[in-house]
Amino acid sequence: MAKTESTLKNMVLTLLVITCVAGASLGGMYELTKGPIAAAKMAKQQAAIKEVVSGFDNNPGDEMYELTSKEGFVLKFFPAKKGDELIGVAIESQTNKGFSGNIKIMVGLKPDGTIINYQVLEHKETPGLGTKMADWFKTDKGNQSILGKHPKNNKLTVSKDGGEVDAITAATISSRAFLDAIRIAFETYTENQSSLPVASNTSTEEGGTE
Amino acid sequence: MNQLKNFSKGFFKENAVFTLLLGMCPTLGVTSSAIDGLGMGLATTFVLVMSNLVVALIKDFIPDKVRIPSFIVVIATFVTIVEMTMQAYVPALFDSLGLFIPLIVVNCLVLGRAEAFASKNNLGSSIVDGLGMGLGFAMALTMLGSIRELLGSGKLFGTAIFPEDYGMLVFVLAPGAFIALGYLIAFINHVKKEA
Amino acid sequence: MNRLTVSPSPHVHSGDSVKKNMYGVIIALVPALAASLYYFGLGAAIVTITAVLSCVFFEWAIQKFLLKTEATIMDGSAALTGLLLAFNMPSNLPIWIIIIGSLVAIGIGKMSFGGLGNNPFNPALVGRIFLLISFPVQMTLWPKPIASQAHYLDAETGATPLSIMKEGLANGESVSSLMNHVDMPSIRELFFGLSGGSAGEVAAAALLIGLIFMLIRKIITWHIPVAVIGSIAVFTGILNLVSPEQFAGPLFHLLTGGVMLGAIFMATDYVSSPMANKGMIIYGIGIGVITVVIRVFGAYPEGVSFAILIMNGFVPLIDKYVKPKRFGEVAKPAKA
Repeated sequence: MAKTESTLKNMVLTLLVITCVAGASLGGMYELTKGPIAAAKMAKQQAAIKEVVSGFDNNPGDEMYELTSKEGFVLKFFPAKKGDELIGVAIESQTNKGFSGNIKIMVGLKPDGTIINYQVLEHKETPGLGTKMADWFKTDKGNQSILGKHPKNNKLTVSKDGGEVDAITAATISSRAFLDAIRIAFETYTENQSSLPVASNTSTEEGGTE
Repeated sequence: MNQLKNFSKGFFKENAVFTLLLGMCPTLGVTSSAIDGLGMGLATTFVLVMSNLVVALIKDFIPDKVRIPSFIVVIATFVTIVEMTMQAYVPALFDSLGLFIPLIVVNCLVLGRAEAFASKNNLGSSIVDGLGMGLGFAMALTMLGSIRELLGSGKLFGTAIFPEDYGMLVFVLAPGAFIALGYLIAFINHVKKEA
Repeated sequence: MNRLTVSPSPHVHSGDSVKKNMYGVIIALVPALAASLYYFGLGAAIVTITAVLSCVFFEWAIQKFLLKTEATIMDGSAALTGLLLAFNMPSNLPIWIIIIGSLVAIGIGKMSFGGLGNNPFNPALVGRIFLLISFPVQMTLWPKPIASQAHYLDAETGATPLSIMKEGLANGESVSSLMNHVDMPSIRELFFGLSGGSAGEVAAAALLIGLIFMLIRKIITWHIPVAVIGSIAVFTGILNLVSPEQFAGPLFHLLTGGVMLGAIFMATDYVSSPMANKGMIIYGIGIGVITVVIRVFGAYPEGVSFAILIMNGFVPLIDKYVKPKRFGEVAKPAKA
């Protein structure tokens, strides 16, 4: 078969046909993968919440609400409940004080503000230094761990700044940033607690934290 | 052309990474672990085979002057399909490859094979060529990824070989990619000379 | 044999040789070596011996088994690389890291390019930067200088003056309050080496003695050290005048970190520096400016080694445009 001539009509027609076919197949593919992609994202979020607050039986993603911190970050709150009782809140917090750019973490707080667990979601810190924060502050060694501590009763800053937490070796800036993200989560949570519809109708335990 | 020869040339004689030095962006960018390299290589292989197939089929209908844009549209379509499929079924791999999946579109290797091979050869040869070149590319990326993962973090395909503290971080970072690739190419050239 | 002098005629030999110059540099490093042994004791001795021996060994092994060429270890260049590498590391560095650093310095930094005379980058710095990026924790734990230190791996560590400055400024403190910080050494202490840092870089006085020795013996010319030190002094001086509470003064910058070691011994490496005097000055100013930019605005507290490596990369370009004057060349007559 002879090659199609490069006339204007032929060129326009060919490109039109090709782009239409491409567009149609992509549209079909999008429909096909839409469900699984959403499910995968949901599963990831669920896994992160489960990591930081365990033992809930609701779907925290459904009751998610957003609050803006003093610093202007929009934080996501996932209330975790067992039956009707609020057992904790998973908070997606962030800070821009990282060694290179933003750090996004998910931290689980008990209703009174005690830290249950955390997970680092996104960061651009130096491999081998700042990246250690994923486990460092969970490890029960020296004064590294922040689990089970309360940001109000414990001074959660690095020891260099007069706090109680040992910074990651040679990564003080990343450590500071990480603790800053925790602080932002805690402060935003406690400051807005009384005015929240979810928190107020669930339990009577939240008194005492303002 | 002998199909076996056509297939095997992608692994050694005309290996995309070691000989043609094509597709350097993913080669250097995503090979910080063996599994990332393998995933990227296989994704590229899929795109390469499919685009070679389609290009070989439609080559006679496409006017010469618009052949490059047509090829690019075909390639971009398959890349987007790969991207959505990975996002849906292997989200972990999708997260670690990130931006480099859409960048397969501009991988010279894919357009290069479409332009240099598929648009001049028949359907069968084009598929075999795409498969050979793609798997050769995947092999190269996996080799580089393995070296970097082993030296950088003491692991191979995620299994610890020696304690991570003894790993040389530079190999996980960009400079290590250049160093490792340089020595790998030097080694392969040496082997070629001996052979 | 002497591939260093790429200059054109005349070919009358002055008696200079690679060997003579290399050993001259090593002699010039003796005061700094003595200072590092005094302040860091056992650790400095172990680090220096390991680095020198493994550099010489790797050079010998690579030439013997991989390249199968004549061994050149007796010219002293490998030993010098080892010595400079040791000077660029903290004195509590584990032995296995030092050996990796030596392998990288000799193997990647020197032999991959074809051995002495062909390496575009200073091998000791290639080794150091490789280690700094690979083992950031071990490479940034500096032992405190305590006279006749008998500890090696378990030596007490502290921050370097530059990192105290960098972190303090990032935390919003002012230069004057940081200069009075408990861990901050005084200018006099800095001059004599009483501060944390790499084994061979802390004692400015000892390094300056080495410089004077090398200048008298005509091993190096004054151009590079003066250009580096001068440009750092001018640049930080201007910054300091503009905003004294935000930028530390020139004296602080000159006496801390690797400026002296870098300007005197690292930047002046024959192979990786320009040939012409004018080129040397351009090269030196480039190093000075990049150093200050990294120190003041960059992520790392110290930038001398990065600056030297970056400018090493520019040397072929500088040599292309600033050629040494040919011997016997007559100045162009002024246009009539």
